[in-house]
Amino acid sequence: MKRWIVHGVIAGYLFALGGGVFAHALKFKHDAHPAMYFLVWDMFCGWAAYSTRIHIIGEGESGQFYELAPAPWGEFKPFGRLGRRHYDVAGVHAPRIALNCLAHTRHEPMARIFVVEEAWAKKHNLPDEIWAVHSAEAKPERPYSYFQVLKVAEPDGTLAVCSCNWLNKQVERCVADNPRLRADPHRGKPLFAPRAGPLTAGRGMPLHFDDPLALTPPGALLGN
Amino acid sequence: MTSSGTAPATGGIARRIGRFFHAEEVPYSLALARIALPIVLLVDIVPRWPVARELFSTDGAPAQLSIMYGQGRMLPEFPGGVAVALFALLCFFLATSAAGWFTRVSLAGATLLYFYFNMLDSISMMTKYSVIATHGLFLLTLSECGSVWSLDALRERARRAAAGGPALGRRSLSSPIWPRRLMQILIGTVYFGAAVTKMHTPAFFSGDQLTYWLITQVNSWNPLGDYMTMYPALLVLFAYVTIVWELLFLFLAWRGWARVVMLSLGVMFHVGTMLLLGLYIFPLVCFSLYFAFADEPHMRTFRVSLRRMGRKGGLGLRRFARFGANAAPGGASRRRLPAPAAFAFAVAGVALGATELEYWIDPYGSRQEGGPPALAEISPERARELLAPSPAIRDQDLVFSFQLGTTMFGSQLVGLRDEFRHGETMLAQVKFNPPHGDLWIECNLHDGDGHAIDEVGQVVPRESLRSNWYFPIDRGLDPGKYSLVLKNAGREIERRPFRIVGDGPSRSLLNAN
Repeated sequence: MKRWIVHGVIAGYLFALGGGVFAHALKFKHDAHPAMYFLVWDMFCGWAAYSTRIHIIGEGESGQFYELAPAPWGEFKPFGRLGRRHYDVAGVHAPRIALNCLAHTRHEPMARIFVVEEAWAKKHNLPDEIWAVHSAEAKPERPYSYFQVLKVAEPDGTLAVCSCNWLNKQVERCVADNPRLRADPHRGKPLFAPRAGPLTAGRGMPLHFDDPLALTPPGALLGN
Repeated sequence: MTSSGTAPATGGIARRIGRFFHAEEVPYSLALARIALPIVLLVDIVPRWPVARELFSTDGAPAQLSIMYGQGRMLPEFPGGVAVALFALLCFFLATSAAGWFTRVSLAGATLLYFYFNMLDSISMMTKYSVIATHGLFLLTLSECGSVWSLDALRERARRAAAGGPALGRRSLSSPIWPRRLMQILIGTVYFGAAVTKMHTPAFFSGDQLTYWLITQVNSWNPLGDYMTMYPALLVLFAYVTIVWELLFLFLAWRGWARVVMLSLGVMFHVGTMLLLGLYIFPLVCFSLYFAFADEPHMRTFRVSLRRMGRKGGLGLRRFARFGANAAPGGASRRRLPAPAAFAFAVAGVALGATELEYWIDPYGSRQEGGPPALAEISPERARELLAPSPAIRDQDLVFSFQLGTTMFGSQLVGLRDEFRHGETMLAQVKFNPPHGDLWIECNLHDGDGHAIDEVGQVVPRESLRSNWYFPIDRGLDPGKYSLVLKNAGREIERRPFRIVGDGPSRSLLNAN
């Protein structure tokens, strides 16, 4: 009996490992369930030419803006120099981080919470002597940063605006920089939309911050 | 039963598979993994205990992995005190796993809690190395890794000595090898899966992906990362070596020289990720599991060396064992708690002590004088900067590098220089930061006075990450100073000066394509 249980464990474990590789290789149900994160080995699956950081700020009813992350008691730095919020690259969990900060601080009533992404070209991370190998121009003292509001939430966490990240916005811009392509979506379009798809969610209907519609697809965004 | 290291490769396929998984050995190698893996994980998780309330409780901001998969909060979240106590127990179970005190219970507790807390914090705890470690803890739980080199083994030895029974021999310490085999297959599968990921990423083979990861700065200190961007051709070479190694590992890392080569490449690869990418815990987790590749004969040799060292240093395991054997029986032992009760008291003590300690630490500062802390204000200028609409990407940010050289290797420019002789061909390479639209890029040759003497342009489509320009340096160009001027849609982006050395002036047309 014990031997059959052992056989079952061995076969089950090998089947799970093999299934993970199969799902990953063929991109079949590889993101169907959180358990797949334990079977899909997609380390360093993505990359970007821009460094990004997450800022979480709140606007009080007086119009004064406040920093909600890092909180007044400090910020946990899990993997080195960066605070925890920066690893939430899509800002999915940022509203909850903001609500936690508000729950443990003194402040005026809040009107809105903003999750803002900052991006700059990674080449600015190079030290001066290595920058000089890549470019003959002098390295600027500060990198030029681009900002993008990812989410706007009510003080209770209800999402009012949910936008794509800065990089995707730029990809959209590059594609949309084509007069023919810009005109095509408007051809043969009915006057009334047959149904409200997910694209309207966030503007037309309120979402909570951990509502699936407010999410971006999962993946090993940090690489490790 | 056959020993794992000496199993002959004969018989039918079923028998061979049976021997592969069910041969018996003394689990020294898994004992080493049991000691190493929890210690590595403790280094990673102990700094998280003071912030456990914030990271894992309803009194904080957990970030459940299931939310990223659109499945809401799948796991229960507990109040602050409970989360703190459970996290302290995770640390305790990892420590007792390494020590081998109630090994199986400790490993099971550690596996369960480590999995739970990882699922609860997808942004600052869950990583692929924590997934590998969870697999490792799970497989160790199924194994008999506590039967040697553990407090449990010492207790058992002492119990036998007290009862006047025979000492434990190899036969009674042996157990089936299948947990070790599964651990070996796990490591091979991880590498194989990583190779599949790389196959899905064309930019991996051009060195572009790695170049950007080297300068990402989201992991720990990576002393060589920035410097390696100066040698992109080497990155291309690394890329091919890595993928070949990752694909072959699962099939070759079983015996002989192939195993030595595969494991050596593995060590080099992971040390490389430390220095280049700033990954430290990931390699240590993998090294801990590499012990699974040591067969029993290797471990016997290691054990003999360890004993010899111990005898010289006076810290031998035998002495430790004798201490255990002498201490357990006799009058003193009657006054001691039974081991299970001591373990249960320790568990309760750790949970309660941790909760009390965290209360005094007051991580949110809510009991400080004046009450909870006030929020930090932001200036209106800073708020305006953060909330302003993003402009289009500037021309300067379109370009990652603009370099001159003489040779191409793996689509990367090598032999960088800024001085060329007549008869040579100067190569200019522009690398673009994605994303960019379809671009009209000019690379114009200017003389020392800044006059354009040749203008060449080409379309760089949005999917292209580099453009190359070939300039034969013929005698039509007088020796002296020149520069290449890079333009996007007529706007100057960058200017790269260089020098031509040669015999003397003569005139002919310069060609560039």
